[in-house]
Amino acid sequence: MRAPLALLALLLVLPAFLTLAGAQAQGDPAGVKGLFLLTDYPSQTVRAGEVTTIRVKVKNAGLLPQPLALALSGVPASWKIDVLGGGQPVGAVMAGVNQDVTIQLRVEVPKEASPGSQTVVLTAKGPLGQQASLPLTLTVGTEAPAKLSLKSRLPSLRGTPRSAFEYTLTVGNDSGRDLTVALAAQGPANFQSSFTEGFGSNEISSIPIEPGQTKDIKLKVMPPRDVKAGDYPVLVKVAAEGATAEVRVTLQVSGQGKLALSTKDGRLSGEAEIGKTSTYTLVLTNDGTAAVDDVELSGTVPSNWKVEFNPKSIAAIAPNDKKDVQVLVTPADKAIAGDYVASFRAAARGEQASADFRITVTTSTLWGIVGIGIIAVALLVLLGAVARFGRR
Amino acid sequence: MGTSTTFVAHPPRRRFAPPQDEVLQLRGDMRREDSSVTRRQGSPFTGLGPVFMKELADHLSSVRMMVLTLFVLAFGAFPVASSLQTLRTVVDPNSFLFLRIFTLEPEQVGISFIAALNFIIPLMGIGLGFDSVNSEFNRRTLSRVLSQPIYRDALLLGKFLAGLATFAVALVALWLIVFGAGLLLLGVPPRGVEVARGLGFLVVAIAYGGVWLAIAMLFSVIFRSTATSALCALGLWLFFFLLWPQLASAIVSGVAPSEIRSLEEYAAVQDIAMALMRLSPGTLFSEAVLGLLSPETRTLGPMLPAQMRGAIMGAPLPFDQSLLLIWPQITGLIAGMIVVFAAAYVVFQREEVRA
Repeated sequence: MRAPLALLALLLVLPAFLTLAGAQAQGDPAGVKGLFLLTDYPSQTVRAGEVTTIRVKVKNAGLLPQPLALALSGVPASWKIDVLGGGQPVGAVMAGVNQDVTIQLRVEVPKEASPGSQTVVLTAKGPLGQQASLPLTLTVGTEAPAKLSLKSRLPSLRGTPRSAFEYTLTVGNDSGRDLTVALAAQGPANFQSSFTEGFGSNEISSIPIEPGQTKDIKLKVMPPRDVKAGDYPVLVKVAAEGATAEVRVTLQVSGQGKLALSTKDGRLSGEAEIGKTSTYTLVLTNDGTAAVDDVELSGTVPSNWKVEFNPKSIAAIAPNDKKDVQVLVTPADKAIAGDYVASFRAAARGEQASADFRITVTTSTLWGIVGIGIIAVALLVLLGAVARFGRR
Repeated sequence: MGTSTTFVAHPPRRRFAPPQDEVLQLRGDMRREDSSVTRRQGSPFTGLGPVFMKELADHLSSVRMMVLTLFVLAFGAFPVASSLQTLRTVVDPNSFLFLRIFTLEPEQVGISFIAALNFIIPLMGIGLGFDSVNSEFNRRTLSRVLSQPIYRDALLLGKFLAGLATFAVALVALWLIVFGAGLLLLGVPPRGVEVARGLGFLVVAIAYGGVWLAIAMLFSVIFRSTATSALCALGLWLFFFLLWPQLASAIVSGVAPSEIRSLEEYAAVQDIAMALMRLSPGTLFSEAVLGLLSPETRTLGPMLPAQMRGAIMGAPLPFDQSLLLIWPQITGLIAGMIVVFAAAYVVFQREEVRA
């Protein structure tokens, strides 16, 4: 019984399709007149226990606008098909001249529906006899497995331990329904990774993707600062409803030196006497992951002070190595006692460190002794007066 | 100096109240006697103890001392009370909170405690010393005292030391009151370095008082009339306080080149002005106190911009560095005190004492 029905529907629709195709071939759609029901996939798969939405266009080509009653026939028992227009159940449509109206068929297939094809015919009928019908072949199939794809545009990036590695990934939903895809990245320990949407700044952990669509996401990986030079793989995994896809991206971390300037006990202060050279020991440390080459030392001291370094420059400092540098500071002869700031700098290629050193300048105690001498002279004058004028 | 300790051990001393005819004879050959090689026997400081104790007792029990102390207390209490009020209400970031009691210039009063002391200490020294010798002349007691086995040296020094001790007692009392009030009202104990700086201030203040005491005693030796000596001492005080700053700047503007071209020249002119101002003991005192009680003071003279570069302003100097900074001032005060006393001594020794 089903087959003749389908045949009938086909016969009914066929002229419409033919005329439409002819019109398109001629490039003159204005010559086509009639009422059409159109859908992209007249034969498609539905799954038991699920709801499928089929979009149907009602097109009025060159006819007077009329209310068109919609009717469905051939709906299997226990299936439920609603005709929706603008989200509401509708019973009729009205399309203007050379305009179309989109309706949806909401097909609810019961769980216990047996596999096989069913043909449902949608009919639009106007009061003046114009009529169009659309047979839809719905095959109840087994559930197609969700399928995901994951691609990386630039799978290998290069940078220093301080740079952020940003990978653009494309996630595709190759299955027939909406999927919410969970994102995960597995990197070496202490590598921080985060996902953001293509141009967004919000961190995301999952992303919904419509069937057949792809979405760009960004993966940002921050290696720990003290990471050694080398290649580090990060495995990116996306998963949704049992489907997974993964791609491996690589961080090529090049080493970088990092200079630090301090003293042995960390104390950044010292004393100096006016006009005399004081020596402090600075410690240059390379905390980085690569050697630091050609370290030049310089210092800024108050005007008329002298500052010298011994050695003036260091050829190379290996990672996690320390080098002692003597700095000789001579305050100006006319310096005033008090606290001063001297800053010492170590500069290498692309890398530098500085330390502010607080120098307490003291005056010599020579003048104190002179002062005591003056008092002694005054006392001697008094004693002389006593000796000279003392009465018997 | 001799080593004898008792009066008995000495041979009988020549008395300074000889019969009239002997005095006339003595006056005749005074010069000769002085320049002769006759050496006196025994220590010139014999009898210093009794003179000192007696003078001290006289000072401490005198009404004048009471008046002077009240005067100083009144002058000191007002700024201290006001600055304590300010310190209690205003958060002061200074780490030397206790020293701020001394140096703070309260709005209501407009004069800090040390400024008040700078003004009042000379008055106290003058008050204690202006009649120390000539009143004995006038009461005709000097010859009697000197008829005892006491040298003039011991008499003058005893009087000076007694005056200084009296002054020190009053000042220490005042200092303790200030510190006690600070403890009570601020509720913060002073740090060790603050106490040390406070004690240094005390020493400087006593030396400053000693200078004025010596000056007053010099006038009391020179002039027989107590009124004249008081007038002269007070006149000198007023001269240093009112006239000298103007006079010094007038001298500087006369000496200075008409056009100052460089910073160095300006600094040199400033140095001359400072040197002139430092002839006044009041300037020495205020500078010494500034260095002691304001630890962030780095220099008392002008500071060139080149010297300022890289300096951490407001950082306090260590105590020993502050002492070194004001050492010339302290030296000047103490040496000045000794020199003025020596002058008074010479004048006194050359004076004739008659019954």
